[in-house]
Amino acid sequence: MTSVLTRMVSRALLAPTLVVAAAILVKGYGDVGDGFAAGIVAALGILLQFLAFGRDEVAAALPVRHARSVALFGLSVGVAVFAAPLVLGGAPLEHWPPATQTPVQIGSLELITAVVFDVGVFLLVLGSAVTIIDVLTAAGEDGR
Amino acid sequence: MPRRSRSQHLGVSASAGGAVACACAASATFLGGWLAGGAGIDVPWAPTWDLRLAFELDGLAALYGLLAAGIGVLVFVYASAYVPRHLADQGRSRREEARLHAAMVLFLVSMLGLTTAQDLILLFVFWDLTAVASWLLIGFDRRNRDARLSALMALLVTAISAVLMLIGILMLRVEYATTQLPELFAVARPSTTVSAAVGLIAVAALAKSAQVPFHFWLPRAMAAPTPVSAYLHSAAMVAAGVFLLSRIHPLIALDADLLDGLLVVGFASMAVGGVLALAADGLKRLLAYSTISQYGYVVTMLGVGGSSGAAAASFYVLAHALAKSALFMTAGTVTAATGAKSLRDTGGLARAMPLLAIASAAAVAAIAALPLTIGFFKDELFFKAALERGDVVAALAVAGAALTFAYMMRFWSGIFLGAPRAAPQPVERRLVWPVVLLAGLVLIGGIVVAPFAGLARDAAAATHAGAVKLDVAYHLDARAENLMALAAYTLGLLVLALRPVLEASLGLVERVGNRFGPERAYGVSLRGLNRISDRLHAVEVRDLRARVAAVIVPAAVLVAVGVAFTPTAGSYRIGNVLAADAPLVATLAVCALAAVAVTAPRRHLSLALTLSAVGFALATAYSLMDAPDVALVAVLIETIFALLFVGVFALLPGDVLRREAQLRVHRSRTVRDIVVATLSGVVTMLVVWAAFSRPQPDAAMAERHLELADDAHGKDVVTVILADFRGLDTLVEVTVVAVAMIGVSMLLALRARA
Repeated sequence: MTSVLTRMVSRALLAPTLVVAAAILVKGYGDVGDGFAAGIVAALGILLQFLAFGRDEVAAALPVRHARSVALFGLSVGVAVFAAPLVLGGAPLEHWPPATQTPVQIGSLELITAVVFDVGVFLLVLGSAVTIIDVLTAAGEDGR
Repeated sequence: MPRRSRSQHLGVSASAGGAVACACAASATFLGGWLAGGAGIDVPWAPTWDLRLAFELDGLAALYGLLAAGIGVLVFVYASAYVPRHLADQGRSRREEARLHAAMVLFLVSMLGLTTAQDLILLFVFWDLTAVASWLLIGFDRRNRDARLSALMALLVTAISAVLMLIGILMLRVEYATTQLPELFAVARPSTTVSAAVGLIAVAALAKSAQVPFHFWLPRAMAAPTPVSAYLHSAAMVAAGVFLLSRIHPLIALDADLLDGLLVVGFASMAVGGVLALAADGLKRLLAYSTISQYGYVVTMLGVGGSSGAAAASFYVLAHALAKSALFMTAGTVTAATGAKSLRDTGGLARAMPLLAIASAAAVAAIAALPLTIGFFKDELFFKAALERGDVVAALAVAGAALTFAYMMRFWSGIFLGAPRAAPQPVERRLVWPVVLLAGLVLIGGIVVAPFAGLARDAAAATHAGAVKLDVAYHLDARAENLMALAAYTLGLLVLALRPVLEASLGLVERVGNRFGPERAYGVSLRGLNRISDRLHAVEVRDLRARVAAVIVPAAVLVAVGVAFTPTAGSYRIGNVLAADAPLVATLAVCALAAVAVTAPRRHLSLALTLSAVGFALATAYSLMDAPDVALVAVLIETIFALLFVGVFALLPGDVLRREAQLRVHRSRTVRDIVVATLSGVVTMLVVWAAFSRPQPDAAMAERHLELADDAHGKDVVTVILADFRGLDTLVEVTVVAVAMIGVSMLLALRARA
């Protein structure tokens, strides 16, 4: 059992970590960071929960059992962004909007398909990392 | 074999019905297309390579396509009754039936594509598809090791030779800048390149048609369920080989040596197949040898060439396919009814199964070339073509026909005459009437031969690349063809009468062939390859270090060779170190110290933490070199890996870790590790040094990337490169992440189950 302080700090850090991850993700096109880094940051936040609370409590509080599906969904998003232009008669992974058009902006977030691709990478990395952490801890608990 | 009682007939499954419907539709399309005088499709496929999806339903396509589809209808009907029995015999679920029908239809479709393709590359694609489908079909009894090995053998022999065919096709493409057959026929002139290319394609065709010395896969392929043999090994797969020879015959005819080669291979196959068929005891085995011998006839006639050779070859294929598939199905029905699989165990079935006896008698008579069957005309044309080539070829033709007569009579009389061995069980009508229908066609062809001759004439016209005269009729006079036929019957009867005397020597021939024949060469080379691969594998996976060395040593050697052959002037410069670079130099020094320190610790935890120290130092260096994106990712990765390492060590039992840490590494291994590390380290340093020494082109590239990043609406060029410019790389890399995730989950799941 970890100390009360560890548990409190870990719990308090989860939400900010995920917010930082989201920021790295959506700001990736204009600033340092990308989907991969965002995925790792989010995974680190969840790894911290595993360390502090143990597998059972995390599984009860967070939807980690869906991590595998999240990863595969992320991969499908990436493949979809890759393949969609083929159906529409373009080259694979041709992004929208093209260079001549200005993208739609919501605040500082620009709506471009490259960001969607990055979101796919984010989901895949996050899902894979959490799955690996989950099965490793499960193996550890079986071993005890 | 235990017999099972069957109170009711099994119905036809949906998949069987679907297969029959596909074959019916294909037959109707091909028949309609042929009667309408041909049809074609031509659409672009890969325009930059000048590849087109060019299909043409000419006479040759009509003949082979109709055989594949028409006989397909009957074989699929037969299979709808045979396969459920076969599965029940082996205690398998009836649902597996769908797998067989799907593969049969795949085969049919690839065969139709093959016959109509007008582009050699396209033809090659369908050629390989037939090989894949036949692998699935021959290995249908997955649990039977023999069936699996036979399927592999058929696949290897036909697919490895197909690589030769691809080489030949590419040689033609290099020479004439096209793979379209009509264009090739127009421009090809006799030359060594063309002869070599066409020779390679012919080798693939001969392997597919199970001609000597590639014939050994066909008797093995009899491990397939009987409908598969009736289809693949009479009308379709084996026919594909002679089809290809017919298709490219205008190119073969450019070189008289190639034609002579076909003659030699054809006669050798006739002889080997005929003698082995006379010796064989298994019903399907006998038919397989007979097929080798019969396609030997066709190859011989293609070797004779010219108008009469082409005519004889096409007509022979037509007559033989009808009769041979009927005989394969006869063998299957006999086995289904009595359980007997060899001539030794059968006999006297004529009284119990009269309809089957009569129908298969017609088919046997056709292959033995008796009058009143379509088979008589096939030999008439064969003898005519052989006579044109000279007396020796004619004499060999008569000898081959005599052998055929002898083993065919032996096949039929062995099953239906003599003392009854076993009382047959009643069988479904669907196991008999496809044979009867084919026998009917064979007999009709013996009287009203014109439509069959018309089909064969159109096919021969494509083979000969010109109009072909094909006249067949009964002539009641003493012309040479009739005399040769009579001689063949007489000789055949003589062989049959002498067979008991020859029994011992025939058996010897078969044993010698098995012991020293090409099948042995196949086995030896396959085992040799396996052994080499095992040995390499053993070296590679002996321990973790060997595995790492197996990756980095070849990589280092390749890069070193690359460096040695690249001009290096100005690459290895030593620039000035400015005062502003002091933090970077200090960080790199820490990094180097940490890297050296990694070799010291013996305990796993200290080792992992020292490794992390190297990583964090490097990340700091990145951030000092204006690469914040790389630095960010490096820090994150180092953090998560450090935590995972610690977590994994926590999982492992402490005493195991302690024991491993105490282990002494053998001296020779230490030396090897030092050599491997030095080699890869030095080469890596050479590359990095060279990369840092030439900033100019990189600067231009970076400028360009920055410009393009604006077009892509991005300000962080690294992210734009990852998600846009080199997005495909990223997609593949993250797929690796997903694969790793699945791998880790599976490994740990296996551990949990154990």
